[in-house]
Amino acid sequence: MSRELQGGILMLVGIVTLRVSWGTTYLNYVKEGMRPWLLLSGAVLLVLGLLAVIDAVRGRGDEDDPQDSEGESEGEPGDGHVHAHGGPRTAWLLLLPVFTLFVVAPPALGAYSASRDVTNSVAAPQLLPPLPPGDPVPMYLSDYVTRAVWEKGVSLEGRTVTVTGFVLPTQQGWQLARLQILCCAADAFTSKAQPTNLPAGFARPPADTWVTVTGHWVPGGGTESGTAIPLLEVESIVEIEQPVNPYD
Amino acid sequence: MSGAVSETKRGWRLTGLEALLGLTAVVVIGQRWLVDSFTSPALQTGATIFVSIFVQALPFLVLGVLLSAAIAAFVPPTLLARALPRNRSAAVPVAGACGILLPGCECASVPVAGSLMARGVAPAAALTFLLSAPAINPIVLVSTFVAFPGQPQMVLARLVASFATAVIMGWLWLRFGRPEWLRMPSRTHLQGSTSWHTFRLTATHDFVHAGGFLVIGALAAAVFNVAMPPQWIDAMSANPLLAILAMATLAVLLSICSEADAFVASSFTSFSLTARLAFLVVGPMVDLKLISMQTGVFGRAFAVRFAPTTFVVAVVLSILVGGWLLT
Repeated sequence: MSRELQGGILMLVGIVTLRVSWGTTYLNYVKEGMRPWLLLSGAVLLVLGLLAVIDAVRGRGDEDDPQDSEGESEGEPGDGHVHAHGGPRTAWLLLLPVFTLFVVAPPALGAYSASRDVTNSVAAPQLLPPLPPGDPVPMYLSDYVTRAVWEKGVSLEGRTVTVTGFVLPTQQGWQLARLQILCCAADAFTSKAQPTNLPAGFARPPADTWVTVTGHWVPGGGTESGTAIPLLEVESIVEIEQPVNPYD
Repeated sequence: MSGAVSETKRGWRLTGLEALLGLTAVVVIGQRWLVDSFTSPALQTGATIFVSIFVQALPFLVLGVLLSAAIAAFVPPTLLARALPRNRSAAVPVAGACGILLPGCECASVPVAGSLMARGVAPAAALTFLLSAPAINPIVLVSTFVAFPGQPQMVLARLVASFATAVIMGWLWLRFGRPEWLRMPSRTHLQGSTSWHTFRLTATHDFVHAGGFLVIGALAAAVFNVAMPPQWIDAMSANPLLAILAMATLAVLLSICSEADAFVASSFTSFSLTARLAFLVVGPMVDLKLISMQTGVFGRAFAVRFAPTTFVVAVVLSILVGGWLLT
């Protein structure tokens, strides 16, 4: 692989990284804190790639180009690189994530991943501070699960909460679910709650529909277990657009 | 894509770039069709996980590549050779400790170890450096710290187990290694006309090397994540010893860059911390891309002996250190 081709690939990776992190697409894949690093890496790759291409266009007589014959001179003793010196063929693979991001920009993980996660996990069950005053209290679904399951609902008693999640179809009906990521979508955890007392005539929305539920905790979903699914008695439910950051 | 690859092999200079432009055009034109056929939830989930691992790893990879290029361009190699003790047994742990100072992923450390040998550093010391540098450098340790929130003992365990494995391998080479197994490498093609030029050449070279293999790793991890039934993974993770061997083998097969592997390891939440430690210790030292690179740089006689031995030593050390620090 020649150096200007390497430069071209570097530029493409840089451009797609900038594009993804310029807007909000990157939030489907990684946490918000990664953004400055992504922008910086994208810029660095773009510049490095551009310089490599400029090198090749300007002067091809200097010392950086005897690599092309390298693949054929493999028999020389003492210099038997498996890959050609300029770059390995595997570098072509860098185009795979580039095109995937450019063309389809895969959506945030949703009901399909949640349905494969048999546990109702929160990253680290821990004691949460008391709820702020005023009802309803907006909270993450993962916090709701922690409070209901790992604190046995103590802090939720008598309070009204607002939680947002997507529709996860189940055999009996549906659950409210949302994923939580630690670093990237490869390590997603699922939080789930079981809505009860739905308004009469309320039909189950299609999978992955985002909803905001206002309601209150009722006992009966089980406590202190990685598979307990807390109940959430619905007072009102509205369909919404997918939040900018789809993860908790 | 395979057609384009064979074209670049025999074609003249611009063919590769033309293939790249052509491929880009085809993808842009076929965009509508590609999007329409992209509806299966399993495929979407796999694609999301694939690009997520790639996007997450990218800044770490860029940082590592820039640092290793800076060292290649601005630090004279003779400095390193002179810094090592004369006594070879003592030089091994010192070289291993130097790995902490020289950040770069395994793809960069293979040629660096080669150039160290070429400059007169004892092979045992250079090989210890080869194993330790990608496993215990600051970027890898920081990304391990980030990937295992609330479990800083994972960073310590990784440092201890990796360092011990690298040093033991160096001493094994001193005791049993033979010079004729090694073939001396050269890395002259990355010498630019100026330091800045060398810096750019090395950075570009290291990025395309590591990046391509990162894609393979992310793809394999995504396929593993989607195709493998959850119960099957749980079955492997239930037996402690089987879990450790499974994760160690997976590290070899996935060939993930050491700057990103902690994020992948942390996603295998059903496995014990010791099993995931084995993944982190084995991965930067033995994997498919390293074996092929070692074959290329040091010769086959070297790789067939060195890689399996490293695997065994790394697994044993992971079990010992995991039992000590992670329970």
